[in-house]
Amino acid sequence: MSRTKIYWKGLDELHNTPEFQESAANEFTPEATADIFNDGNESTEAGTKRRDFLKFMGFSIGAATLAACETPVMRSVPYLNKPEDITPGVPNWYASSFFDGVDYASILVKTREGRPIKVIGNRRSTVTLGGVNARINSSVLSLYDAARAKGPLKGGAESTWNEVDRDIVIGLKKAASEGKQVVLLTETIISPSTKHAIAEFTEAFGDVKHVILDSLSVSGVLAANEESFGVRALADYQFDKAEVVVSFGSDFLSATPNSNANAARYAKMRKPKDGKMSRHFQFEANMSLTGSNADVRVAQKPSETIDSLVALYNRIASATGGSVVSGGVDSPEVSKAASELLAAKGKGIVISGSNSKAEQVLVNAINSQLGNIGTTIDLTNPLLLRQGNDADMAALVVDMNAGKVGALLIHGVNPSYSYFDAEKFNSGLAKVDITVSFADRLDETAEKVGILTPDHHYLESWNDAEPKAGHYSLVQPTIQPLFNTRQFQESLLKWSGNDSDYYTYIRENWKGSIYSASLNPVFANFFNTALFEGVYENGATEAVAIAFKGDVNAAAAALPKYSGDFELQLYVKAGAGDGSQANNPWLQELPDPVSRVTWDNYLTMSPTQMKELGFSRLERGDFMADVAILTANGVTLKIPVYPSPGQKYGTVGLAVGYGRTAAGKSGNGVGVNAFPLAKDGSFSVGGVTISSANEKYEIAQLQSHHTLMGRESIVKETTFAEYSKDAKAGNPRVEFYVASAPSAARKAAATAHGQEHGHDGHAHADDHGHENYKIGAADANLWGNHAIDSGHRWGMAIDLNKCIGCGACVTACGAENNVPVVGKEEVRRGRDMHWLRIDRYYTSDMTTERAKAEGVGAIDKFTAMEAAAVAPRVAYQPVMCQHCNHAPCETVCPVAATTHSDEGLNQMTYNRCIGTRYCANNCPYKVRRFNWFQYHDGSKEFGNNPANSELGRMVLNPDVVVRDRGVMEKCSFCVQGIQAAKLKAKKMGRKVLDEEVQSACAEACPTHAIAFGDLNDTESRVASKAKDERSYHLLEEVGVQPNVYYMTKVRNLTSEEV
Amino acid sequence: MKRISTAFFTLTVLLASSAYAQDGEKLFKQNCASCHTLTDKAMVGPGLAGLFDRIPSEEWAISWVKNSSKMVAAGDPYAVKIFNANNKVPMSAFEFLSDEEIKGVLSYIRNPPVKEVPAAAAVVADAGAKPSGALAGDTLIYVLVGLALLLLLLLVVLRGVKRSLTHLVSERDGVPAPVEKGAVGTLLSWMNTHRGWTAFSVLVVVLILLRMGIQGLMTIGVYQGYAPTQPINFSHKIHAGQNGINCVYCHSSAEKGKTAGIPSLNVCMNCHSYVDQGPTGTAEIAKIYRALDYDPATKTYGSKPTPVKWVRVHNLPDLSYFNHSQHVVAGQIPCQTCHGAVEEQAVVGQHSPLTMGWCIDCHRTTNVQVTDNGYYEDLHKRTPEWHNGDPITVERIGGLECAKCHY
Repeated sequence: MSRTKIYWKGLDELHNTPEFQESAANEFTPEATADIFNDGNESTEAGTKRRDFLKFMGFSIGAATLAACETPVMRSVPYLNKPEDITPGVPNWYASSFFDGVDYASILVKTREGRPIKVIGNRRSTVTLGGVNARINSSVLSLYDAARAKGPLKGGAESTWNEVDRDIVIGLKKAASEGKQVVLLTETIISPSTKHAIAEFTEAFGDVKHVILDSLSVSGVLAANEESFGVRALADYQFDKAEVVVSFGSDFLSATPNSNANAARYAKMRKPKDGKMSRHFQFEANMSLTGSNADVRVAQKPSETIDSLVALYNRIASATGGSVVSGGVDSPEVSKAASELLAAKGKGIVISGSNSKAEQVLVNAINSQLGNIGTTIDLTNPLLLRQGNDADMAALVVDMNAGKVGALLIHGVNPSYSYFDAEKFNSGLAKVDITVSFADRLDETAEKVGILTPDHHYLESWNDAEPKAGHYSLVQPTIQPLFNTRQFQESLLKWSGNDSDYYTYIRENWKGSIYSASLNPVFANFFNTALFEGVYENGATEAVAIAFKGDVNAAAAALPKYSGDFELQLYVKAGAGDGSQANNPWLQELPDPVSRVTWDNYLTMSPTQMKELGFSRLERGDFMADVAILTANGVTLKIPVYPSPGQKYGTVGLAVGYGRTAAGKSGNGVGVNAFPLAKDGSFSVGGVTISSANEKYEIAQLQSHHTLMGRESIVKETTFAEYSKDAKAGNPRVEFYVASAPSAARKAAATAHGQEHGHDGHAHADDHGHENYKIGAADANLWGNHAIDSGHRWGMAIDLNKCIGCGACVTACGAENNVPVVGKEEVRRGRDMHWLRIDRYYTSDMTTERAKAEGVGAIDKFTAMEAAAVAPRVAYQPVMCQHCNHAPCETVCPVAATTHSDEGLNQMTYNRCIGTRYCANNCPYKVRRFNWFQYHDGSKEFGNNPANSELGRMVLNPDVVVRDRGVMEKCSFCVQGIQAAKLKAKKMGRKVLDEEVQSACAEACPTHAIAFGDLNDTESRVASKAKDERSYHLLEEVGVQPNVYYMTKVRNLTSEEV
Repeated sequence: MKRISTAFFTLTVLLASSAYAQDGEKLFKQNCASCHTLTDKAMVGPGLAGLFDRIPSEEWAISWVKNSSKMVAAGDPYAVKIFNANNKVPMSAFEFLSDEEIKGVLSYIRNPPVKEVPAAAAVVADAGAKPSGALAGDTLIYVLVGLALLLLLLLVVLRGVKRSLTHLVSERDGVPAPVEKGAVGTLLSWMNTHRGWTAFSVLVVVLILLRMGIQGLMTIGVYQGYAPTQPINFSHKIHAGQNGINCVYCHSSAEKGKTAGIPSLNVCMNCHSYVDQGPTGTAEIAKIYRALDYDPATKTYGSKPTPVKWVRVHNLPDLSYFNHSQHVVAGQIPCQTCHGAVEEQAVVGQHSPLTMGWCIDCHRTTNVQVTDNGYYEDLHKRTPEWHNGDPITVERIGGLECAKCHY
């Protein structure tokens, strides 16, 4: 082949210059190489060439891969000298007590490897009956709070104990020598040994004035009890003996002293048994937790509640021969309450939530006339849980401002935040020569004092308590102090010149005052028994009736008056309490039981009124609340308005415990502080004005649909009268008609199943004479049945009559199962992670029957059904994974990450889950939660999640994994507890005892509404409940055959009240 | 009848005592060795070497052994001296020993047995045995490799011979020598003519490589055979093997909780407060003392202990829950089933792969220990026809379910 034409690339080639010859020989000229690894100026020979770079990179990757394949060297460090009682991996339980000035409970603390991780109630206590609320069981997280003070501070700077001790002793002596007051300002002290230490301190420094301040003051009640009965203490209400309860604005199930015990007792009378069930009347402005559980609830302004109280007094007084007072507005409900109270003399309770002495004197008079004192109301062994006196505090503030106070020591209270006149307190504080705070952090008050001597957390402390006269309990440390803190009592003793440690001090004190040789010949045995059991109760004295000595006429004249268009009722939330635990993210994320809102307080208002005032009623998924400007008692606040069906028209409600500024990162700036509105400790405020701020605020709520829309298979309810006639009232069997005769085998199965549930499968002729067959929902199956009769079958029964909605189970579940806290932003997006939620439903004025009778069309009917009634009834329903035997989630998982166990559990395997979320879509109960983020990766965004910091991680339950991003999670029936209980039984060679294994929710429930156990164990509590006529499955018609049973809610209503 | 039994009893006692009298060594080990050595080294009590040069008489020794406190109280001068010299710690009274028996013990102390070959030497001999055994195995491989090399050499030589011969032939015939293809060229031309075989061989090679690759990937994170060097050269072979100490004596939490636990040093000190020397000397045991800040000379603990940081050998990922007590107590599984013959390991290593497949395999084949366990009895009652009388394996009671280990 010859070349006919010659092409050349350029003149270089044509002339064949020497340069061209060179370049042709050298294919890769240095200039042509893209030398991206040198900065051009350097000679290419000196720098790293591209190929070299690739070589290095290849080598590095290879080396790194090899290194990564090597076993990571993990160290294992055993004890040098192992404590005898600690076995790694096995929890230890210690009895202790919780008291924070608001709540008291005898508790059991679960520790793992020396870390407390969970708090449950101690059922040995006759004061609290094992009842704990969300605030108490969440307190374990407050131990691992990064905002806690790490050591003593002087003028805000780090100091040493020696230095602050010296300064304080000099300061105290100086104040005493100058003739100025030395004042110890504390929360209520229920510890006998602390009182002893305070007495010693008083003696050491001459005349120390001890002022007690209660953030949630009941000063008026104490004064009324003193006047009426000569006892300056609180009554212990025996709700388990009360057949009629009439409450005037008292949230006794959630907010009052010993409310956890009240709930436990109250629930005992809410069981429709032997033809008896208590009747509960509630007169109140806000829809409180207690009010939402009442049979008869009357929405009233606080001023009207006083009128009703007076009217009730007059009715009772005239019936029992007492003197009638002037005033009072009668109503049918008052007259009904009066007649029922009179019919149940000695078996009723009248209670008021007011802090006004006059109202409480009238309440005492009513109870006295009804003979309730000494029967349902125990003042012989009174509660000592509040001892504050508002007048003392007011006098102290005046003295401080007058410069009469030389030294002020503040323990357990935060007046700069929670005292209504914090401004005046602060100005007075600046005039005190030496100020000391024992607060656990630099809170609102502590940041203004000279010296901070931080107290231990209660789980690090020794202490004792006398919550009720003659009933003692002990506090024992469950962990070494995390920080350089010192127990309050030890500080006092040290300054008084007593170097004894507080443990020895308590022992000596018990030896001297509580112990006697007749109890136990050896004191150490006596003390250790009390320590082991958590309580020592030397037997309550028989409660006796105490004659009423109060002056009702003076009381009637002194009743508070409220004026204005709006009246404000402040209230205490189940989670927030008085705000002292505001930096506890578990409590912040716990939804309010009634409003279902998290991370905020807000103004509750009647929806009718909101419409009139032009505020958004947050209907149909609207989360943007309008902001209102509220002015009362000279205080102006900007707060979002939230609709609260059942709120009295003309009233608003606002929760205290929010608006902290120095609580820590989770609590700061959440909501507004309502304490300044509570003038003189009164939570009812008149003369309130409200206007729109023309602003919007996004509310973080967990439930936006508030009624059942006629779905009767979700919450079933009936009345006590109906129930007494037919135990199955309100709980008809869910049945389907099938056109053809079931196959013989199927029929047999249906019949067998029917018999098991007390039904019989039978043929049924329809209108046309065709024979139709009726089968139960559980028998209409696509799938074969699991072998549910063999082995264990774990199940749960939830009594809707006993569930008061308090939320203790929600926080307990979170603690047990390492449920992440997602924060306000994520809750707004509907991504809460709670494995257990308590749905709250309001009744609607529109019903299917009414629509039919009035000829309302379907669309209008459903629109009307969406709105709650003006005076709604409320039902609470805890919903967790129902562990269906025919679980719809299991069939749609493409990777079999959710499967069914032989023991009836619906298992979720996180390491298998790929996050398709098909299961959540297919779940009829919407109980599955998706991990949208790595909530524990240390990011700032999820800084509220305890698992996000080294310190917070100490609260995690080591038996349960922390789930990664991108997987589903849900209730496991606390399978770790089931496995542990089974193992214990196997090792001991016995069966698993009934109630030996408890899910965290069942364990935490103060009212025992949740029963957990083995449904196949015929003698178990849960099996007997499952067989009860009231039991049903949630959405039974779906046919998923859950292992969770609900029990019909029975309201004690007369036919006309329905 | 009574007489016969009395006679029998007397005979037994007589026989027993005469046997004890002869066996001073046994008596010494039973009663004395926990506090005394036969050397001059002191343990709890003084060392007994040269005892008979010190004590006044054999009679004195007998009465001292029977009740030393009595002698001290009576003011025997040598007894008081001994008592004071040993920090006034009284020696236990051995009044149950007869004079004959004590004499037997004393004669054993007077003539201690000749020391055996030091244990350390035995260990060396033992260690020496292992490489020789290994050598025998390796020889075969060397022989095979040598043979293969020889054959390869033969191949090259023969190829060279063939080429020389071809050259010779072509030179003789005057034709140009055929073009050299070289080894690769030959192979390529062979592959070109045998395409079916080539494709097949390539497929086989690829499949083998793939399988090896996947198997290799499966072992990522599996640390079977991992036997790291530990801060203290603790030998399970000596403790569990030679001394026969039960596993749970040290790993006591294996019966109580989820972890078997590495024993805390106070457990070591139960024995090592006396045993300060092992077959390899004092160095390793001294590490315990250092960690505890313990002075073996004065037998006192200091105030600056430092924990021993062992290297963890067995490590399950956090996503799986494993409980030792479940397997050891309820399942009655011997430790060796999972951990191998630890009593033969001088350095402990991971015996089993600890993969999920390994767990599952065992759960499929292991029978549940249902006999004499009230827990299963009760479950049996609830399930009359439990799997038609087949043996109940762990799988049958749900041992393969996810939530048994993952929660």
